[in-house]
Amino acid sequence: MKTLKYFVALLVTAALAVPVVADVTVDGFLQGLYGGRLDKANPTATEMTASETRMQLRAEHFGDNGEFFGRLDFVYDGADSVKYDWELREGYFKFRVGDNLDFKIGRQILTWGTGDLVFINDVFAKDYRSFFVGRDDQYLKAPQSALRIEYYNPVGALSLVYTPRFEANRLPTGRKLSYYNPMADSGRGEIVGEDYFFDPTLPEAKFKNGELAARFNRYVAGFNTALYFYHGFYKNPQGAVMVGGMPMPVYPRLNVYGVSIRGSLTGGIVWMEGGYFDSRDDRDGDDPMMPNSSVSGLLGFERQVATNLTANIQWKADYMLDHNIYEMQQQAVGAYVREELRHLLTSRITKLLNSELLTLSGFMFYSPSDEDLYARLSASYKYTDEVTLTLGGNFFDGNNESTDFGQFQLNDNIYAKMTYGF
Amino acid sequence: MKSAITKLILALVAMSIVAGAAVAQDATEIMKKSHMAYYYAADDGVADVTMTIIDKKGKERLREFTMIRLDEVDGGSQKYYTYFKKPSDVSRLTFMVHKNPDGNDARWIYVPSVDLIKPISADDKNSSFVGSDFSYEDVSGRHWTLDNHTLKGDSTIDGKAAYVIESIPKEAYKAFARKVSFIDKETFMPLREEYFNKKDKLVKIFTADKIDVIDGITTVTLRSMQNVKKNRKTTVDFSRITYNRGITADMFSERYLKNPPRKYIK
Repeated sequence: MKTLKYFVALLVTAALAVPVVADVTVDGFLQGLYGGRLDKANPTATEMTASETRMQLRAEHFGDNGEFFGRLDFVYDGADSVKYDWELREGYFKFRVGDNLDFKIGRQILTWGTGDLVFINDVFAKDYRSFFVGRDDQYLKAPQSALRIEYYNPVGALSLVYTPRFEANRLPTGRKLSYYNPMADSGRGEIVGEDYFFDPTLPEAKFKNGELAARFNRYVAGFNTALYFYHGFYKNPQGAVMVGGMPMPVYPRLNVYGVSIRGSLTGGIVWMEGGYFDSRDDRDGDDPMMPNSSVSGLLGFERQVATNLTANIQWKADYMLDHNIYEMQQQAVGAYVREELRHLLTSRITKLLNSELLTLSGFMFYSPSDEDLYARLSASYKYTDEVTLTLGGNFFDGNNESTDFGQFQLNDNIYAKMTYGF
Repeated sequence: MKSAITKLILALVAMSIVAGAAVAQDATEIMKKSHMAYYYAADDGVADVTMTIIDKKGKERLREFTMIRLDEVDGGSQKYYTYFKKPSDVSRLTFMVHKNPDGNDARWIYVPSVDLIKPISADDKNSSFVGSDFSYEDVSGRHWTLDNHTLKGDSTIDGKAAYVIESIPKEAYKAFARKVSFIDKETFMPLREEYFNKKDKLVKIFTADKIDVIDGITTVTLRSMQNVKKNRKTTVDFSRITYNRGITADMFSERYLKNPPRKYIK
């Protein structure tokens, strides 16, 4: 009830505040999203994968010296234990200093790298709870409170992003989407509902635990080339520490060094990206509770194959260092052994019909080494400029419960979504 | 006597060849002038654009955006920057084209809600521009050297004397097999264009519905494209037009794609 009051108070404040401020543009959308799981065996707490009404308000003001932008979401979620929720998805001030420096300070969405829904050097927070249930694409990215400085000069552009407080990925909790918990079933591991879930401890709020991401990019012969660096933590709780004789999940320390290139080739766009993941808590690969270092590579190609039909394919490979040690450790506890070189193939196909009013979209992830897959399908129709109707589904399969997509194999779901933009 | 007649005939033949060449030259010259006046007016330009797409049931859809253009080479490479305002689902989205008449254009889109810059594979210049009846090529222009032009005669459109010119693509082209343009004799603005398909059926009609003089430059401020086959129509209304703002090429970069130049975009 207290939350509800807070929610209403915020809403009223927002509604009242807006018209009195001069030159502030306000727009946004109202959206209903309803989805259900298809598998009765799913141990989740609710059969609804989504049951939410959302209002997003966007406010913008710009002057000669800078601009403010805010994006505020209010949600009523019938499937969650907390029914009313709100989040400031973006709230930043942007300005320029001199001719070459751009600053962006505040809560913001951050993206870089070349992959299509596949990430190597983009070590910014993702929200897979949203991604798997049919929320709009913008919700795959979780906001970070950060300072971004971009320096432009004739040689190239240097971007620095400092996030004082570590922002983790948002992963399924077991309430609406089940996941694999290696500690469940007396340490044998199984797909679980929300019984086992608790938020893993974040790295302590100290300056040394801030995240630093850097990129340098420049165009070379029409190709956008970039170098990347990241200093922070794995965004998923991939490690564990013993607390009172119990393993507790943590976010291990991580550095990433990477490169990418992207440009036009034979009537399409080609991209390549690589990265070295330096697992700072397990550089020798001998700690069974911490991830090993790894090297990832990505190759992608996209082109328009016919009028209003675009397709792309991507191939990603992850090579685990010190795999022999990992293999012994996993075998010792009878756990699934990932292959040393893991492959992931993806493909996106987008077809626009009826003068771009109807969009059919399919995105497929398939890993021949993990033997798992994830398919995202949707049909979206723009009934008017304001109203969009979407039907979609998320389908998972896998031969093993502990692989990236295999763990979600009971979460197949379909959804309907209606959006009114204003 | 006989040789005099022969000479006369030869002279007439020669004259007609020369005259024919001159006519052909004129048609190409007119199309070039028209292209330059319509697509390359001044060195740069900024305008607010309202696009109305009207389907066969009369249902309307609106697109509002600001468009910025820079000519790098007159009649050659150009840069375009588009900032979308409406509808709500594309507001603040930016779009950039580096137009290269000799090859493929380069296109980028920036989606602010995910902070994503994405290059777009753009080998199809005939695909629709934002779901309208205008193609990318209709927006930025088809280079006059790609077609053979013939002057077919004179006509009058809305009281304006016009050249009637037929253009046939030099290489087989899917957007049209034949185009008939009505070019204003005074301003060289295209007043009307009729596009015919392979079966010589009329498929699209362009009309310049309102022509104003802005900063001394003749400008089509209201134009429309009628899709005869689909019974649809798109009108494009330009407002707040300004020319020669001193726009520089560095504005058409990823930096500005992410940070719209507020000097030009309100």
